[in-house]
Amino acid sequence: MQNNHHKERLYKILVIGDLGVGKTSIIKRYVHHNFSPNYRATIGVDFALKVLNWDQETVRLQLWDIAGQERFGNMTRVYYREAMGAFIVFDVTRPASFEAVTKWKEDLDSKLTLANGKNVATVLLANKCDQGRDVLTNNGIKMEQFCLENGFVGWYETSAKENINIDEAANCLVKHIIANENDMLQSEVLDTISPQLEKDKGGTCSSCFRSQ
Amino acid sequence: KMCSAVGACLNHSIFRVHAAGEHAALHRQRSLPHRPPVIPLVARMADQNTSGTPAMTEREASRLDKFKQLLAGPNTDLEELRKLSWSGIPRQVRPITWKLLSGYLPANAERRESVLQRKRQEYFGFIQQYYDSRNDEHHQDTYRQIHIDIPRTNPLIPLFQQASVQEIFERILFIWAIRHPASGYVQGINDLVTPFFVVYVFEYIEEEVENFDVSSLQEEALRNIEADSFWCMSKLLDGIQDNYTFAQPGIQKKVKALEELVSRIDESVHRHMHHYEVEYLQFAFRWMNNLLMRELPLRCTIRLWDTYQAEPEGFSHFHLYVCAAFLVRWRKEILEERDFQGLMILLQNLPTMHWGNEEVSVLLAEAYRLKFAFADAPNHYKR
Repeated sequence: MQNNHHKERLYKILVIGDLGVGKTSIIKRYVHHNFSPNYRATIGVDFALKVLNWDQETVRLQLWDIAGQERFGNMTRVYYREAMGAFIVFDVTRPASFEAVTKWKEDLDSKLTLANGKNVATVLLANKCDQGRDVLTNNGIKMEQFCLENGFVGWYETSAKENINIDEAANCLVKHIIANENDMLQSEVLDTISPQLEKDKGGTCSSCFRSQ
Repeated sequence: KMCSAVGACLNHSIFRVHAAGEHAALHRQRSLPHRPPVIPLVARMADQNTSGTPAMTEREASRLDKFKQLLAGPNTDLEELRKLSWSGIPRQVRPITWKLLSGYLPANAERRESVLQRKRQEYFGFIQQYYDSRNDEHHQDTYRQIHIDIPRTNPLIPLFQQASVQEIFERILFIWAIRHPASGYVQGINDLVTPFFVVYVFEYIEEEVENFDVSSLQEEALRNIEADSFWCMSKLLDGIQDNYTFAQPGIQKKVKALEELVSRIDESVHRHMHHYEVEYLQFAFRWMNNLLMRELPLRCTIRLWDTYQAEPEGFSHFHLYVCAAFLVRWRKEILEERDFQGLMILLQNLPTMHWGNEEVSVLLAEAYRLKFAFADAPNHYKR
């Protein structure tokens, strides 16, 4: 989908998590810089585009806002295809939405891997932090530890309503996506420098990212 | 409340106010920049065409007469009623006509009152029997999801922000969900209650429904509206249940059929979308799951459902042709888009905010033509 040799990058990013945690609100805040309490439940998937300037390059983010009920509907596999990163969102005022985080992560990792076999970069968002932080303080969970154990590259307390930490979280995700991409490119370069070593593995297609 | 002549007169003045409002809305829409707002307003339920015709035309008056004649007899000829309803039902007779066409009420006029009584009792029996179980362990997930979705069903229409209306929706959806465990509550079903509720409220009031305060209704009237909405929604869902069972096979099938159909009726649109890697599932899932309710203003959905209830298998089959006609309706805009992003944003935010009866009628006529032209074509999608 994206061509790494140009000065423009395009990444597909998923926004997932249980229903009503604020996925749509986060995206509207990030893309349109506003907030409304009046968004209707997302059906299937909603699409949005954010353009960033990143080290003199243009980065386009395709944001895929996936309906909170979809994990049960078996449709997520279709929506996940070719994504490079993900936000998993929960609502700090609703413990059940936090319990669902690991289920979403498992769903994601079981259906989507990068060309090098790694999981896509995923950032955890503890949303609605303007309304309290019950889930974060009450159950004694150490978030850093939780992220490490569950393969998140970072976590943020966010509020779409008060515009807290949304840009920061997005920048963190983009940074990791670019790092992943550079990693894959690196191994591709190594592959093409030493084609003989790869010969018996079959296939030396230079446009293929798969590092085997 | 008042003599019928005054009532009719009142109706006319409502007509005019709506038409003027429509006009203003149209102006606002036109003066806005090119892109429509991301969330289309559902509001503005006025029943009129958008051209701002002030009072009922002669043609409309004669249509209303025909409905009244047909409904007055001891046995309503449902076939005739279908034919008449296909091109739209006047709002004065819409509640009774919808109940007849959906099969909720019998054609025999004498039996209607007792059927209504029995069905309403039955519904409130369910409430008594099951509604307390909403906080039980095996039902609380269902109830929680409904509870989260109800305040955001039609968030911009004041009618639906009233606590008693939200409680009605919660009861209807919860009872339906636990009585249909193969699907349970699926997001989108909440939208499908709305047209019934609005139309059946209209049976009891003469003013605009959008800002109507339901606490001014008698308790019994509100209970009747609730039970009638439940049963008619159930009838509707019975016909499209595989849209909402696990993995939503009905929707998968219909989206595939839509793709197939569009590839036949407009190859350039189809190829254009394929070229930019837009998949039909990415936009048409919602068209099927919510029966286009998210793509059209509520007043248009109500008009659309007049025809869906008049057409055999309207919701389950004819809807596909309507979706195809709807997509191709935007062919110019689609072909102007030159990348995936632009196409997706267009297809998920189609500018229908100003639509009224006229636009829906054109759409339906085209859908009918497509159904005729393509239903029997070789290799073509068949039910």
